[in-house]
Amino acid sequence: MTLSTADVCALALLAHHLGRDLQRAARRAGGPRSLLTASDDVFCAALGVSGAGRARVAGVRRQVAQTDAEAVLKARGITAIGAGDGRASPLLAQAFDPPFGVFTTAPGRCAEAWDGRRPVIAIVGSRRAGVASTAFAASLAAGLVRRGAVIVSGLARGVDAAAHRGALDAAGTTIAVLGAGVDSSYPRANRALRKRIDAEGAVVSEYWPETLPAPWRFPARNRIVAGIAHAVVVVDAAATSGALITADFAVELGRPVLAVPHPPWEAGGAGAVNLIATGAAVCRGVDDVVDEVPHPGWTDLGGAVPPTELEGTAARVFDRIRTCPGRLDELVSHLSLEAREVSAALAELELAGLAVVDAQQRWLAQPTH
Amino acid sequence: MAVMVCVITSPAIVGLDTATVQVEVDLRPGLPAFAVVGLPDAAVQEARERVRSGIANQGYRVPPVRIVANLAPADLRKAGPQYDLPIALAILAGAEQLSPSAVAGVGAAGELALDGTLRPVAGTLAMAEHAARHGWRALVVPVQNAAEAALVEGETTIIPVGSLREAAEVLAGERPVPIVAPAPWPPDVRNDVPDLCDVHGQPAARRALEIAAAGMHSLLMVGPPGGGKTMLARRIPGLLPPLTRDDAITLTRIHSVAGRLPPGQGLMSRRPFRAPHHSISAAGLVGGGRLPQPGEVTLAHLGVLFLDEVGAFQPQVLDALRQPMEHGVVDVVRAMASARFPARPLLVCAGNPCPCGHADDPGGRCVCPPGRAETYQARLSGPVADRIDIRIEVPRVDSAALIEGVPDEPSSAVAARVEAADARRIERGQQYPNARLQGTALRKAVSLDGNGRRVMESAMTRLGLTARGFDRVLRVARTIADLDSSRKVGESHLLEAVGLRAYRSLG
Repeated sequence: MTLSTADVCALALLAHHLGRDLQRAARRAGGPRSLLTASDDVFCAALGVSGAGRARVAGVRRQVAQTDAEAVLKARGITAIGAGDGRASPLLAQAFDPPFGVFTTAPGRCAEAWDGRRPVIAIVGSRRAGVASTAFAASLAAGLVRRGAVIVSGLARGVDAAAHRGALDAAGTTIAVLGAGVDSSYPRANRALRKRIDAEGAVVSEYWPETLPAPWRFPARNRIVAGIAHAVVVVDAAATSGALITADFAVELGRPVLAVPHPPWEAGGAGAVNLIATGAAVCRGVDDVVDEVPHPGWTDLGGAVPPTELEGTAARVFDRIRTCPGRLDELVSHLSLEAREVSAALAELELAGLAVVDAQQRWLAQPTH
Repeated sequence: MAVMVCVITSPAIVGLDTATVQVEVDLRPGLPAFAVVGLPDAAVQEARERVRSGIANQGYRVPPVRIVANLAPADLRKAGPQYDLPIALAILAGAEQLSPSAVAGVGAAGELALDGTLRPVAGTLAMAEHAARHGWRALVVPVQNAAEAALVEGETTIIPVGSLREAAEVLAGERPVPIVAPAPWPPDVRNDVPDLCDVHGQPAARRALEIAAAGMHSLLMVGPPGGGKTMLARRIPGLLPPLTRDDAITLTRIHSVAGRLPPGQGLMSRRPFRAPHHSISAAGLVGGGRLPQPGEVTLAHLGVLFLDEVGAFQPQVLDALRQPMEHGVVDVVRAMASARFPARPLLVCAGNPCPCGHADDPGGRCVCPPGRAETYQARLSGPVADRIDIRIEVPRVDSAALIEGVPDEPSSAVAARVEAADARRIERGQQYPNARLQGTALRKAVSLDGNGRRVMESAMTRLGLTARGFDRVLRVARTIADLDSSRKVGESHLLEAVGLRAYRSLG
């Protein structure tokens, strides 16, 4: 199936104005092209609209037909990549229910990222993730980038944001798939990150640029995240987390799914543990992902970061938090040191990227890959 | 009876300043009446009844004539009951029950009870200073205010009296002038200030308190309810360096004017601790009123202003703190009068990490949606962020630490280190605490070596330290070095200051 830019725009605009998804209607009408060229009666039948709604649908179709969508896109610096276009993701084409096309502000970087020469890894997880999970996601993304991978995620809070950030910090490429138009600045908390991705990575969406976020668009977005990735890594997910939807799509496509193990008493990791129980591979770090995803694009270059030489108090504090994370007060009493020595050592570790403090004010050693 | 006008003076309080008010009483034949003119407020109007009863009950006679009391200048609003005594004395002099020469050049202030005894009034110290400055012969004050009035050195004789009769008899030379000794200096302090040895565990918070006290650095404590934030804040005044006598007199003047000097106490020898509730208005916090009254920020001058639940204060109320925190004074300008109050407290704020208060509870009891804690924190730090040097987390205390109850270091030990650090600051020739170091003075006080520069560079890149945050770290590091008796600000001082920085995401 090949769709022109004009077709992709027309379908996205229709979906935008009608406020609904056209995938099923397109299947009923015998394909997206047939849906676009169908009479109003056939169009409404495919959409399942009858009675008074038909006049509105016809009106929207007329309005869309009169819109010069491509000029709008051009003015906003957005490109539509239709299914079957040379720049489209070949992996996404194999996905179940592939989108008619995607909109992006960086078509060149997208095409280069998903042309198949580099492994594309999706890193997803909870929005409520603790700092241990986000730190792991960031360092995993950085480690995978150094091995030649492209990182895909959904620009949500928590794990998603950490994965993008980790990839960018390691000077890698990252693709953010939105559940709204590419113009949307949702979620607001990630505005600064969004700017970095615009400059160094790519933001893609199947929706018309003005589309607002809606709850049902996020699961649909997850099928694209899974669709363009060679494998999905679930860093943490509660039993009902949306990250599991991404994993399900990957399973249906027969692509590897990895999950980070969590202790059973951490409710926030139950979904990830369930994935492992049902056959997902265990992800302990970069090597597990490389082993699980056969791809010629993996490199050995720039593997691990050379460990920083630690001495004195900093070394003692680091050894302690590596095995037993703790709050400043706890570290002071366990190590029998002065508060000022421990806090200076923790600041030194934090500046060296070797320690982070979580929401419970516990200091944790940063995973290094 | 002779028609005569008798004049006695009384100092009026305007903000922290004073003005001379002439109290004139005219007795002239006519139907018995009593009028008070000269922009009096309700309390001054009611003086008529107190004065009438007071004179009669002290065994004098209220002349059955038309009495007019005029308070000059007529355009200055007179407030409060302090004019009872001068009006009564002027009537006695006018009625020749007291020699008019006995009251010439004499000032008086005091509230009369119906039986003619005196009640204390606010602002006596400022009044005594006014009397001395203007060369008044004597100032009659209620005996309860004697101790503060006695602080003033000068030619003016302070006459502390308990009743109208006593005042008249002393002025007439029928009784000796009662002697009042000024409050002793240095005072015996710190014995009833809460002590740091009651705080068990919490070594990190103790250390932060010590640094805040040594450099007068404003402090934000974030933690769940029950972590002891208030308990810690109450112990800060006991850690601050002792007051100088001049500072103590300044504090006495402020608290006396506000009518908040504890009865019988001549001198505010202890640093104040003020903890206004979060429902306070902007005028309550920084001062206000038709006749300007000092606000909490002035009452906490040279002490601690503690804002608990700082996120619950109205943002515009916190915004009003901008001027005092930057300039150390508050200008209250009203239609009737304007006043300038000193306002240089150590600002200590406390807040919960999220609306429910449990974001950092390891038991995971937080019920706030994702991201809520960060937005709450942004709001919490927003208006006060510019004024906070040190931020610490105060976790819930382990029950073990509470039960074991090993007494920790007492306030006196910490205060000694704070005083030593303060002495090094003075040795450096620096007039003001490190918290007020800025610009070139800051650069001069903190010169970074190669290692120091490296620490600060990585703090800026890795932690996103802003220019403002950079200066804050330097100021705090200067104090840490002072506590360490170090002339130079070294790498370890900077690192510890980085750990105490005001901005830190919850992760």
